[in-house]
Amino acid sequence: MGKHWSENRKKYTLALIAIAGLLLLWYTVMLISDGYWGIGPSVQLSTYYSGLFIAGCLYGSMLFADLGSKTRGLNYLVVPASHLEKLFCSLFYAVVVFFVCYTSIFYIVDAIMLKAGNALAYNHWLKHHAAGDVFEPRKIANVFYQSEQSRKPDMLVYLLLLYFVIQAVFIVGSVYFARFSFIKTTIAALLTGLFIAFLIGKVIFPILPHGSFYQGITSYKVYTVKEGVTINGVTEGISIYSDPATDKLVTLPTWIGDVLLFLLKFAFAPLLWLATYFRLKEKEI
Amino acid sequence: MINIQNLHFAYRKKPVFTGLSLRLQPGHIYGLLGKNGTGKSTLLRNIAGLLFPDKGSIDVLGFTPGKRQPAFLQEIFIVPEEFYLPDVPLQHLVQYHAPFYPKFNKAQFEKYIAEFDIPVASSLQNMSYGQKKKVLISFGLASNASMLLMDEPTNGLDIMSKSQFRKVMAGVMDENKCIVISTHQVKDLENLIDRITVIDEGKILFDQTVDTISRKLSFQIAFDSEEIKQALYGESSLRGSAIITANTTGEESKLDLELLYKAIVLNGPAITAVFKD
Repeated sequence: MGKHWSENRKKYTLALIAIAGLLLLWYTVMLISDGYWGIGPSVQLSTYYSGLFIAGCLYGSMLFADLGSKTRGLNYLVVPASHLEKLFCSLFYAVVVFFVCYTSIFYIVDAIMLKAGNALAYNHWLKHHAAGDVFEPRKIANVFYQSEQSRKPDMLVYLLLLYFVIQAVFIVGSVYFARFSFIKTTIAALLTGLFIAFLIGKVIFPILPHGSFYQGITSYKVYTVKEGVTINGVTEGISIYSDPATDKLVTLPTWIGDVLLFLLKFAFAPLLWLATYFRLKEKEI
Repeated sequence: MINIQNLHFAYRKKPVFTGLSLRLQPGHIYGLLGKNGTGKSTLLRNIAGLLFPDKGSIDVLGFTPGKRQPAFLQEIFIVPEEFYLPDVPLQHLVQYHAPFYPKFNKAQFEKYIAEFDIPVASSLQNMSYGQKKKVLISFGLASNASMLLMDEPTNGLDIMSKSQFRKVMAGVMDENKCIVISTHQVKDLENLIDRITVIDEGKILFDQTVDTISRKLSFQIAFDSEEIKQALYGESSLRGSAIITANTTGEESKLDLELLYKAIVLNGPAITAVFKD
């Protein structure tokens, strides 16, 4: 940990300053373009998550960039520590430290800019408010939790979990691709997504009987199929329709759904970290 | 200490080693010589666990290098021809990097740094290539790793530094250490190495100790044309012809490493025949 920090602290400090600068610039643009009320909760949330995804994935894609260079890669691989220790050290900085630092910087910038925005808005309000109006300053948004009134209060948690999965994809990519890791990983991820979409649309769905998923992925409603359609006295083909009386519902035990959901939420990122570990072990310089 | 058996290695489809076997013992400084592209660096990287053999086995101090276990990496230090040192002050290199090597000796490191005239207060980034190389060599020696692999260590060093290098290296050897120096600048290693291994076309062309070479071969300057004609190898110079002959008198001559290397490459069978007796 100490070695990693001593070798990278200048780079990390500059990167964090750059992130703070970009956030300040973005909020300033929002204040200028959207009046004093530009920094609303939705802007804060979208700024936080856009920055997190972009910066986190960029950092993830550079995590093992040293392995793309013969000299730096050699320096990294010959350090007397196990592959697991090296991976944990890198993940500690990329996953934990980056997340904590980014969130802290975001809130510092957020607080400063909200204060500035509110001060400007208050001055504006003093001059223009109608009698009886009450000034309501913008508040710092909780980026991890939406209010109970929101339609999907858990959405931000899922977004956060998705971030860790996507960052893990870029971390694996940084070990696999020696150069242009970010671009290559993005292309590889898009191609994989297209392949999965093709597999589902053209292979899996044609195998399944006519129907659709019903209340989640563990229950499938099979529609009623009737042989032949009679048109003008001629009967041919089949007709497919949903009839509650004759439709069949295929349901898997609910625990399968729970397990799948758990895996989707918590297992993808660790599995990708595991893939990184094995790739690191077999890396040659 | 190092036991390489039937090593096969190829870069994609370009074979480098096709059945190389070699044993290296502690207490020696091996000079690994060979033309460019014959696999010297590749062999060192295989020994260090940075490349994995396609076939055959490598055993270093009882470890399989490819596993890169910490206990193995603590016992091996490689000074590559092209290297990277982080942009940190020299003290940080010792503070954060040295704890990975349990036998690292700070006093020893400071001694080598002083011998190499390295400015202690300077950051590594502000140092010249040669200075950085000397820092790396000093660190490697102070790590007290049992295996020290050096790939062209004198490349980039000035004349004074080369002589400092030889002086430092001569003082570090002990019976538990094995040092392998790969180079094509053979003059830099004279009086330093005690065993010469020549690789060519991925095979061991020659592997003898300096003592044996001195007993079996004679290096001299000849003027007599008959003597030159009968030599195992010879080349003309301004001072006459430098020749290698079989040592029949038992008198030891000064080893000319460069001449020997050329003789092995250009007239290998005649040279090796002398050692078969």
